[in-house]
Amino acid sequence: MHPASSPPMLRAAGLTMTYPNGVTALAGLTVDVPRGSVGLVGANGAGKTTLFRLMLGLMRPTHGVLEVAGHRIDSDPVAVRSRLGYMPEHDCLPLDQTAADVVSSFGELAGLPARAARQRASDVLDLVGLDEARFRPVGGFSTGMRQRTKLAQALVADPELVLLDEPTAGLDPLGREEMLELVGRLAGFGISAILATHLLDDVQRVCQNVVMVDRGHLVLAGPIDQLMQTTGYMRVEVDGRDDAVPALAQALAGHGVTTTPVDDHHIDVDTQVHGDVTFDLVRDAVADLGLRLYAVSTRHRSLDDVFLQEAYR
Amino acid sequence: MTALQQAAAGAVYDRGYRPYSGPRGGRREATLALWRLSVRRALGLRRPWRQKVFPWTLLGLATIPAIVNVGVAWVIRNNPVEMAGFEFITYRDYVGVSTVLILFVALTAPDVVCPDRAQRVLPLLFSRPLTGVDYVAAKVGAIFFIVFGFSFLPQVVLFVGQMLVSEDGALKYFTDHAEVLWQVPIAVALLALLYAAVGVALASLTDRRIVGGVAIMGLAFVTSAVAGIVVDASQGEGTPLAVIGIFFVPLDLRDLVFLGHLHPVDSGLSGVEGGGLIAIVAYSVYVIAAFSLLLYRYREVDL
Repeated sequence: MHPASSPPMLRAAGLTMTYPNGVTALAGLTVDVPRGSVGLVGANGAGKTTLFRLMLGLMRPTHGVLEVAGHRIDSDPVAVRSRLGYMPEHDCLPLDQTAADVVSSFGELAGLPARAARQRASDVLDLVGLDEARFRPVGGFSTGMRQRTKLAQALVADPELVLLDEPTAGLDPLGREEMLELVGRLAGFGISAILATHLLDDVQRVCQNVVMVDRGHLVLAGPIDQLMQTTGYMRVEVDGRDDAVPALAQALAGHGVTTTPVDDHHIDVDTQVHGDVTFDLVRDAVADLGLRLYAVSTRHRSLDDVFLQEAYR
Repeated sequence: MTALQQAAAGAVYDRGYRPYSGPRGGRREATLALWRLSVRRALGLRRPWRQKVFPWTLLGLATIPAIVNVGVAWVIRNNPVEMAGFEFITYRDYVGVSTVLILFVALTAPDVVCPDRAQRVLPLLFSRPLTGVDYVAAKVGAIFFIVFGFSFLPQVVLFVGQMLVSEDGALKYFTDHAEVLWQVPIAVALLALLYAAVGVALASLTDRRIVGGVAIMGLAFVTSAVAGIVVDASQGEGTPLAVIGIFFVPLDLRDLVFLGHLHPVDSGLSGVEGGGLIAIVAYSVYVIAAFSLLLYRYREVDL
């Protein structure tokens, strides 16, 4: 296991990347990303791949500083790379080799001795569920098996951090479930993961933190639980009067609580301003108005809601 | 339930994840690993038997002249008259035989670099502690190693064989021919370096193995044909344009190593003032150009 009391897994300060053709892929990105599973989300062209390229030291930023696990990329990109595993989105495996050969080869290329690389390859192929197929050529694998092989080669050298680029791309529902289950287990192995995707559901399911980028700018970053809480609202179901919903909205507005009517019986109540006190305010307002309270549910917004709200604010 | 009972019940154990705490190398180890994997691939090791046929057949063919020479000498070793009239292939000549290894380079150089680009393996390779320089060193090094080995081993067979059949005894043969112990390695290393660098550089220009192989063979045929024409046109006086025959330039350097000067008949540069220097400069330009192209091709990798 890697120590938990270490510097942030990723630290970017004023990170700017402008390509020779003038396109600015990242514009002053400043963010600290803790260890654990982190979702890097954004639409196509948001700057996710550019950030991966910079993290792998494959190019230098125009401005700013980027650190991975406390090491500055620009001072020693090769040393940083030895701590990383990378799983590209696209096909990238030698098709005429067996999964065991592919994974052990990448273990050796990460600096492991040949014998250790073979042993590790066996272990991680077992871990990703390819123990039976390890001696079959990758060219005969299904998309799901190739994705698992790609994940295995990323893990073979026991990295501190794996960069996963759209790991569920092209998978059927079952394959997607299995891949997400594997990714979700990585934090328990002491391996941090940055999951680049535009599928916010995937991030919501397996990540503890999220970094949202849009057109090279940071939209927001933080623990997913916190984001969901601070941007959440509760849905209240009431009855007892024809104007139950407008009356409740008016009563809550008197306490500075914002509401959004849904239909004749349902109303969404913003919990951002008063937090848990909002529950008391709703209870008291319902009692004062003589309404029947059927249900109060804390309804979190999805990450999609958060992204759309923050990106296009 | 006992362990035996559990086993009988077909229990499945989740062994979980075991972190790795053993030794971990850096650039040097990664480069060596890539070199080793490339050598293995070029020789068809851990690949279907079809991939093994060509390289090992070629090695056999390259060794045949040595085996035949030694074999004939062995058969007639007790007949001084025949032995005196029998002419061994010389070590210098044998370096010339190694030019056939351009066939090997045309087949294997594309095989070790083209799939990396075609199958988009490069991003994965460069996510390891490797740089473009390391990649080039490993790939050229792999082809160099094999061409050198396939050129050098037959010479070893020839040397050892001649020692054993020598009328004057092995020790005397060894001391009389000690100079080839440095001449042969240097000459074949010069040949192997140019063949490997130029072959891999040409192969790096395409994703398709067949195109890379054809390009290498095409360059070999066209340049040697053009060089032959301009040398013939010089009517025996030699011409600096003989260096157009890119894959024969190492043979001029071989002559400088073995003879100390260009061969008056074999070299198209013989008769040209400063011909030896021209050969050295041409060789250097070809090798530097090949490495420059390779470093340019692998300066940056796209994800």
